[in-house]
Amino acid sequence: MGEVHEFRQGALDPIEPPSEAEPVSRRRFLSLMAASAALAATSACESPPADTIVPYTKKPTDVIPGVADYYASTYQEGLIPYGVLVKAREGRPIHIDGNDEHPRFRGKTSLRAQAEIMSLYSAERLRQPRLGDQPASWKEADARVVDALKQVAARGEAALLLTPAVISPTRRAVIADLQEALPGLKHVAWEPALGLTERAAAEALYGDALVPRHRVDKAKVLVALEADFLGTMGNAVEAMSGFARNRKPAKPTDPMSRLYCVESRLSLTGSNADVRVPMRPSGAAPLAFAVARALHDDHGVTYPFGLSPRVLHPFHLDDVARRYNVDAGTLTSLVRDLAAAEGESLVLCGPALPAEAHVAAALVNAMLGAEGSTLETGVAVDGAPLASPADMAGVARDVAAGVYGAVIFWETNPSYAMPDAEGFNKALGRVPLRVSLALAEDETTRRCDVVLPVNHWLESWNDYDASADLLSLQQPLIRSLYDTRQAEEIVLGWASALTSATEAEKDYRSYLMQRWEREVYPAGTPATFQQFWTAAVHDGVLGRDVRPRPPRNGRVEAVADAARAVAGETAAGMELLLEPDLKMWDGRYANIGWLQELPDPLTKVCWGNYLAVSPSDAKEIGVADGDTVTVAAGSRRVTLPVLVQPGQAPGTVFGALGYGREGGVSGGRGTNLFPLVTDGGRSPFLRSSVSVVRAGGSQPLVRAQTEFSTHGRDIAPVWSLAEYARNAKEPKKDRSLPTLNPNLEWGDHKWGMAIDLSACVGCGACQVACQSENNIPVVGPEEVDRGRIMHWIRTDVYYDGPADNPRVAHSLMLCQQCDDAPCEPVCPVAATVHSEDGLNEQVYNRCIGVRYCAANCPYMVRRFNFFDYTSTLTDPLDLAFNPEVTVRPRGVMEKCTFCVQRIRNGVQIAKDEGRAVRDGEIRPACAMACPAEAIVFGDLKDPDSRVSRLSRSNRGYKVLEDLGTRPAITYTVELRNPPEASGEKGRV
Amino acid sequence: MHPRDRFLYIVVPLGVVAVLTTMLVVGRTAEPARYAVGYAPEQPIPFSHRVHAGANRVPCQYCHTNADRSRSATIPAVQTCMNCHRYISMADSDVIQKAVVARLQIDAPLKWERVYHLPDHVFFDHRSHVNAGVQCATCHGDVKRMDVLTRVMDLRMGTCLACHRGPSRYLPPESPIKKGPTDCTACHR
Repeated sequence: MGEVHEFRQGALDPIEPPSEAEPVSRRRFLSLMAASAALAATSACESPPADTIVPYTKKPTDVIPGVADYYASTYQEGLIPYGVLVKAREGRPIHIDGNDEHPRFRGKTSLRAQAEIMSLYSAERLRQPRLGDQPASWKEADARVVDALKQVAARGEAALLLTPAVISPTRRAVIADLQEALPGLKHVAWEPALGLTERAAAEALYGDALVPRHRVDKAKVLVALEADFLGTMGNAVEAMSGFARNRKPAKPTDPMSRLYCVESRLSLTGSNADVRVPMRPSGAAPLAFAVARALHDDHGVTYPFGLSPRVLHPFHLDDVARRYNVDAGTLTSLVRDLAAAEGESLVLCGPALPAEAHVAAALVNAMLGAEGSTLETGVAVDGAPLASPADMAGVARDVAAGVYGAVIFWETNPSYAMPDAEGFNKALGRVPLRVSLALAEDETTRRCDVVLPVNHWLESWNDYDASADLLSLQQPLIRSLYDTRQAEEIVLGWASALTSATEAEKDYRSYLMQRWEREVYPAGTPATFQQFWTAAVHDGVLGRDVRPRPPRNGRVEAVADAARAVAGETAAGMELLLEPDLKMWDGRYANIGWLQELPDPLTKVCWGNYLAVSPSDAKEIGVADGDTVTVAAGSRRVTLPVLVQPGQAPGTVFGALGYGREGGVSGGRGTNLFPLVTDGGRSPFLRSSVSVVRAGGSQPLVRAQTEFSTHGRDIAPVWSLAEYARNAKEPKKDRSLPTLNPNLEWGDHKWGMAIDLSACVGCGACQVACQSENNIPVVGPEEVDRGRIMHWIRTDVYYDGPADNPRVAHSLMLCQQCDDAPCEPVCPVAATVHSEDGLNEQVYNRCIGVRYCAANCPYMVRRFNFFDYTSTLTDPLDLAFNPEVTVRPRGVMEKCTFCVQRIRNGVQIAKDEGRAVRDGEIRPACAMACPAEAIVFGDLKDPDSRVSRLSRSNRGYKVLEDLGTRPAITYTVELRNPPEASGEKGRV
Repeated sequence: MHPRDRFLYIVVPLGVVAVLTTMLVVGRTAEPARYAVGYAPEQPIPFSHRVHAGANRVPCQYCHTNADRSRSATIPAVQTCMNCHRYISMADSDVIQKAVVARLQIDAPLKWERVYHLPDHVFFDHRSHVNAGVQCATCHGDVKRMDVLTRVMDLRMGTCLACHRGPSRYLPPESPIKKGPTDCTACHR
């Protein structure tokens, strides 16, 4: 705790490759001769490098080499401080999970946060300061900046500090210090992918910028208006776990939530909705107002804020349905369900929608008494100030006008992520001093003359206060790998140099602790501050008391204004929706190979983005998958490939932000769509009257899955609750084949897994966790295109039904650890065999790479190393490897092992403690990471274990059971809860 | 004999036997010394197990503290030496000053030569063996008599499996363990 444990000098030596200069001894010569004589045995004969063991000189007390340590920390992305638990081996962070003591995350975290291990060890990180093109020392760099800033101050000029959202109170204090030292400093916080319309709506309606916490877990009826709350909106981790909790009834009569999703693009949320309504984004606001009116008119729900019924007179459900080509009956049942679930309903409005839609949604929520139940305002804080694209356009104008004598970019990349980056970049050259504090080289650092490398967050201290009830702490897991400094320390150094305050605190950890002692440490606590601090660092999060807020009273004029603005509005032309990508976010993850190669949950495209076009529009434009189109919105145009997306609302197109970064791992793949973000209009991410025309070229998309139909096989069945009730009554059909060894006997355990597809939303967090845990290589787009992606677990997606609004089923596929495994008998060298505890083992050192097993596996889960993917890894990415798992060489088959290293370790720990393995104690990486808790692992020999009980579920089934493979994984059928067509009151 | 028959019945079999014999002989003689029993590399300091574990009867796990709780038994930190040498024998001797005290002062680690070398795909776990009651000497030999640590065990899979299939003679008599795991993933993962 608090301590940074790491190897002493020289301790990493054995990891370095052996010296090439070693003279060839006679012995070595002979061994080489033998190797060439026996070609087939070369790999076995090659002698490994001589090995040294380098113990500590002074051993840190609580580090045991070979045993992992876990430290709580916090990772900030946008406005969300993810509470994480980082696993470290011998001082090296190697795996990130959620902090299980964090009340919001409960041991889960986002797939992007998990992949951050790769950014720590990225070869592209900056390793020392740079002045112009020349490497420089920190002293020179600091002197250059301080001198320039002094001149700026002397001339009375302004300076600009551009940061991401500042949700750290101590970072705020640091910025205030700099502002005090440099009065002309203007601080602008810029989050290019965050929509600010919800805040604008709250300001208009309630007069505050409070963004409440969405309690998806408490909602019985959810309406998502272009709101991908299971994907990219807000705290999706908390939403997924909350959503999943109400989606796994044990019997047909158990309550299950109902999700209506009204959206243009097919989102992760839409694909999991009970009712999905494809509709233009411009229809969201009128629809929400019409819902409010219908609730009032048809169900007697009173209007809040003293709203006059006349205001909503122009909105009628049937009218909206007709205008936006939506089924009126569906909307009626939506309103009916909302009315029936008063106080337990939630209307969510997407960040791309204009403020009017947010006002309308807030009105419906207020009518249904969501505030205080599904909308938690007590914990909300006034959102950190953020610049809108319009504000950024102002900044760009000021830069061009020469207002600023200096610009400082603090871990932000506006040269890529800004609506008019081109204009900004041109203007930027005129600023005398351009400083970038950055982790890696990016578009902005290339345009700066002072580039200062900062610590990775796993090397940094910080605190976060994004919600009133929680204060999160970030602690370093490892000392700076390179000659980098924490950004706060750099800025504090400047501030003290500018004011010539020599005694000012420049060590950020002490600065942080002093601030905590002054402002956080509660007076009268029996514990000393040191004890208090140590406990807080250990937990990674500190709970604080909050008083519930009185219900807010909205301003009627805000509703009237919004209603007036959208009344009578009709959709004009093609509408374009832009959203941050699930993996790339605003482009900051472009150089993380794990995320580039993670297929999109719905289209299975990786290593790039595309324009999603509805099948009917694609026909009209005359394009197919991979054909390029030019999208023109206003004066801006972008050319990118098309993907024909079933479920995309006709008349709308969708594109994901965050691609098309220059250089690095991403290699410029994908297309930058930030130029299409507008700094005018009602929402920056929503464009109307967009033209989409054929560009004539083609740019094939790389897809990890190319067949999206189950062809009628029961691979991923979906039942409605009514079907569940019917099927639960019938005895389960035994579809397994007769077998030659019916009574297999197991050892002490028989490991098995249960996957609840009703909980699984298909996000892909399990894939990243698996990749990190099992040293799975990234193979690159060309290899993915040849079907050689290496993921041991994959999320499959299947479309069924009409192309304009298909039913989507997500499924997880990994090695089924079959009892009668088809792979085993075909292996000529017994490299894949069955273990006593029911595992289908893959023995890398036996495998000779004939690939018969892969050919014989009906689940297509075996992966072959066509190349030596790991020896080409750029230093120091090999430090991210899990030392408990073999790094596989070329020519070897591999597949999911149920994280056998965790099983063996768990069993050993239980044995050492003289007890049986506890149920749930051993969790594979995927199960540990799944925010929806859809994956349960355990011992099938214990009839009371969770996995045994779930395996007996009346919605349990095995995939391709009729092949007689007898898998160890039981899936439970995905359930949907659509309203009864007959019009009877929905079961909610 | 038809030349073709001679080729088939004499030259081919002889050739196969010759190639196989060459492979076996060359492979065996070219095997790195560190795989052989009796491998005793020179260590960075003249540390003697005979003096410590033998004459002074320091228990193995006083220094190799993690043998019962980690995969690695771990070689002690330089500082651990000073637990004793600060107070007792030879604290001022030249050897200790040079080998230990000087290193501690400049924070220079000791680089020990590995004596028991396992390939990367083998995951040996000390704790399961130590906690099952296997004596250190079973695999590491009578280190109490070794001035220079010498390898006494042939680390081939057969050696491991022989014990895993019938461990009783290496276990305490009261041990309930009748066999060790022989699943592949017990060691290879």
